[in-house]
Amino acid sequence: MRDSDREDLELHRRLSSGDRGAFDELYGRYAGSAYGLAYRVTGQQILAQDVVHDAFMALWRTPEAYDPARGPFRTFFLALVHHRAVDLVRRESRLHARSERAANLEPLVGEDPADAIAEESYLGVRRKEVREALAGLPPEQRQVLEMAYFGGKTQVQIAEELGIPLGTVKTRTFAAMRKLRAALEETG
Amino acid sequence: MIDRHDETQELLAGYVLQSLSGEDAAEADRLLTEHVPDCSECRMMLDAFQAVAGELALEAEPATPPDTLLPRIHREMDTRGRPGIRWTPGRLVAAAASVVLVVGAGGMALSQLEDRKTAQVPAADVQGLADFVVQHPTLLRQPLGGNAQEISARGVQELYVYGRGVPFPAPGLVYRLWAVSAHHATHLRDFLPYPDGTVLVRLAIDPSTFDHLLVTVEPAGSEPSEPGDPAWPEAG
Repeated sequence: MRDSDREDLELHRRLSSGDRGAFDELYGRYAGSAYGLAYRVTGQQILAQDVVHDAFMALWRTPEAYDPARGPFRTFFLALVHHRAVDLVRRESRLHARSERAANLEPLVGEDPADAIAEESYLGVRRKEVREALAGLPPEQRQVLEMAYFGGKTQVQIAEELGIPLGTVKTRTFAAMRKLRAALEETG
Repeated sequence: MIDRHDETQELLAGYVLQSLSGEDAAEADRLLTEHVPDCSECRMMLDAFQAVAGELALEAEPATPPDTLLPRIHREMDTRGRPGIRWTPGRLVAAAASVVLVVGAGGMALSQLEDRKTAQVPAADVQGLADFVVQHPTLLRQPLGGNAQEISARGVQELYVYGRGVPFPAPGLVYRLWAVSAHHATHLRDFLPYPDGTVLVRLAIDPSTFDHLLVTVEPAGSEPSEPGDPAWPEAG
């Protein structure tokens, strides 16, 4: 376990007993990644703010939802953010608008480079490993994975868009997830 | 020959990416409810895929949220507080009232219950249960009889009553759900199985605030003053 994961675990333990300072510290660690992810998926700042707000409130209200036995806090929380982002996009039926915007995202208003640098120093190593693992995938596998994860598209939509059988999308997705799992476990 | 676990795990890969729809989504929900909790291999793979889904988030460029966001969260923390308080019976009654809002069916009219006979289990409800199962690895399952069970997780203010092949009560009768404590029973809601015998009820209530759930069978539309006959005497 990395030092940062151990620190997260301790912060989560304190948060579970109602420590607001621990909550704020976890916010400081993950708000940037969460907001960046939510913005990438939703394509709208206002929706991204709602996603991050809801995810942190869910963490505060039901910290028990995270079970340390199932992996680092980081992956639990960012998966929660992703889940909410995709849910929101689909619920709001704004996929069309999001797709148009996501194709040419503008820099976020209020972005503070100093904050970004601080965040990077904490998660930067893992971020680099994740990007390397993704780059190691065959292009056709990476494509379906990114369309699903960041594009919020269903496998049926991906098959239609790429003009390939649904079964092929499933196979490529499964293969990509297994390869990423192996690569990230090796470096994690 | 296709390995059954491979087939399941292929669906789980799509599930954690939230990219399933239609029959695949329904099948994944079924597997998550009925197979995965008892299959260590698939459970391990689900955990691993969820970890990958969390890590993939790092591929997105981080961005600083507006300065107003944390104060907004703080305000809501002040306003809504947090769960985990052990409720008194009075609070339990209040919680029962909140159930009406959550499930939209507490004290439902007979006509609404009759509608159930022609309705399908809403996909969103099935998805909700599947998400609950996935998010809470240490599930507590309590048989209620009649092929139904209570599914809860310690410390979580939410639980489900779920069953397949649940028999219909006699015409004119409904099932009535109660939260029972030592000297108190609180009516939660009335329900009937869906046409295929499925029961799926979500309750926004902390399971630590009562001793057990009780299902009785009662005349439809009757006043829920106190529990009548247990619907399934074989339970507990």
